Amino acid sequence: MRYQGTKINPTRYDRSQLKFFIILSVLGVFMVLPIIYIISTAFKPMEELFAYPPRFFVRKPTFDNFRKLFEVVQSSGIPLSRYIFNSIMSSLTMVLTSVVISSMAAYILSKKKFRTKNLLFEINTLALMFVPAAVQIPRYLIIEKLGLIDTFAALVLPLLAMPVNVFLIKQFIDQVPNSLIESAYMDGANDFFVLFKIVMPIIMPALVTVAILAFQTSWNTPDPSSYYINDDAKKTFAFFMSAITTRISGNTVQGQGIASAASLILFIPNIVIYIIMQNKVINTMAYSGIK
Amino acid sequence: MNMVSKLKLRSRKQWLGVLFVFPWIAGFLIFTLYPLVTTIIYSFSTVRFKLEGVSITYENVKNFTDVLFKDPEFKLALPKYLVQIFYFVPMVLVFSILLSLLLNNNLKGRSFFRALFFLPVIIISGPVVENLQTMGAASLQGLGSFPVYRFIHESIPDFIAAPVLYVFDNAIMILWYTGVQTLIFLSAMQKIDRSIYEASMVDGASSWQLFWKIIIPTIKPFIFLNSIYTIVDVSMSTMNPIIIEIKNAMFNIKKGFGFAAAASWIYFFIILLTVLISYFLFGRERK
Repeated sequence: MRYQGTKINPTRYDRSQLKFFIILSVLGVFMVLPIIYIISTAFKPMEELFAYPPRFFVRKPTFDNFRKLFEVVQSSGIPLSRYIFNSIMSSLTMVLTSVVISSMAAYILSKKKFRTKNLLFEINTLALMFVPAAVQIPRYLIIEKLGLIDTFAALVLPLLAMPVNVFLIKQFIDQVPNSLIESAYMDGANDFFVLFKIVMPIIMPALVTVAILAFQTSWNTPDPSSYYINDDAKKTFAFFMSAITTRISGNTVQGQGIASAASLILFIPNIVIYIIMQNKVINTMAYSGIK
Repeated sequence: MNMVSKLKLRSRKQWLGVLFVFPWIAGFLIFTLYPLVTTIIYSFSTVRFKLEGVSITYENVKNFTDVLFKDPEFKLALPKYLVQIFYFVPMVLVFSILLSLLLNNNLKGRSFFRALFFLPVIIISGPVVENLQTMGAASLQGLGSFPVYRFIHESIPDFIAAPVLYVFDNAIMILWYTGVQTLIFLSAMQKIDRSIYEASMVDGASSWQLFWKIIIPTIKPFIFLNSIYTIVDVSMSTMNPIIIEIKNAMFNIKKGFGFAAAASWIYFFIILLTVLISYFLFGRERK
């Protein structure tokens, strides 16, 4: 290696890095595997979907599954755009409110001193460990009592309560140096300013991670639509996709192909959001503002 | 006069604090804590859903004894789960530390690799994982015929060989669970000032020593954070044997919701126990 001055790592490609490239590439292949699988399954013709032993890659790709899916979509009364609109609205609302609410709470829990602080955080951490499926029925009863059945709020509110968000964000805010916040107070900043202009930019990787996770839960789950919404026009895309695949699953052979096409369509927004956001994660990775 | 204005300022600041936490506390109480408390009541009773509402008859600890002693499925699912926790979680942590060490290098195309290794985040929380697993894509096929694998299987005592083989069998699943953890470790490692490395290298530290004396102590709080995250992630996964069992019990006429609630609470204490173990390993701060 040539002389590097005060640096340890070389700035450009160096032969000594080859081993890292090899390891990372080999492991990287496994990371893209599921995505390739989703794409290739969606284009599989019927006989390949049920081939035994199952094949990973598609041999004779067709658009059959998509054609059948659109036939089913057209025969249902409500236009597809309606479901997609509902999904986008509820997911976006959910992501934004969840990030803001969680970081506000996490900021207070991390940086302020008050009596019930530790107790609150411990209850939150314990709530992490409780089986989400088991609270479904009491949660339904609450939604019913609050009169939220068949409202947009029922799609968002029950999902907002994600203890894992507060947990993750709080751990990151703990690492923000107190002196940074104090110096901001000295300069006359209030808590809103400190949180939104100082703390949140520093913990951006955590916030984006939480945002991606929140989007995932909201976009992929058909549960709120199937539990709390009776009106078909208010249901989400994820529900619609799971409904048409189960409705046809009386005819499982038919349903399998449609399901694979549907899961590809359902998956695309995930990857789009990911590509948009991951850049933010990686570029703003932890600069502390203080040396 | 001075006192009054001071007091005012103080209580105003407190109100701002309350304003910050209020939305979260309200949501948490209504949608998480209250349902949780309700399940405690359910777990001690037989729950029937009728048209006019929910009927609850008090049953003492019958549900709990049913889950622990009578139900054969829970008994089968529990050891499976424990194996998963004690092999899987440490392996996820080790893998994610290794990956973040690799990605912390100043490689060409580093941002591409980082994006690639964060990718499992969107896969593991989606519905595809189950399909992949049933297809056998989550395990390395044909691994059993490798000489190394056979050697470990045949000639090393079982209590050592079992975890090693478990890692081989689940290598890909372990990788898929490392997304968030790798990211967290990576952002922790980025916080280490470069000059600390330089100073210790001048003093003659090897990279092995750098790892154990500088990197590990710095990321230690994050090891604890990640261990909790992984435990929760694995325990709450829809593929988890106990979760499947609890879900089935909810809609089973013989078992019912009371049984499911009791099973959930027992499960909760098991998870709590594993978290406590990891607290004693990584969580305690040195004074």
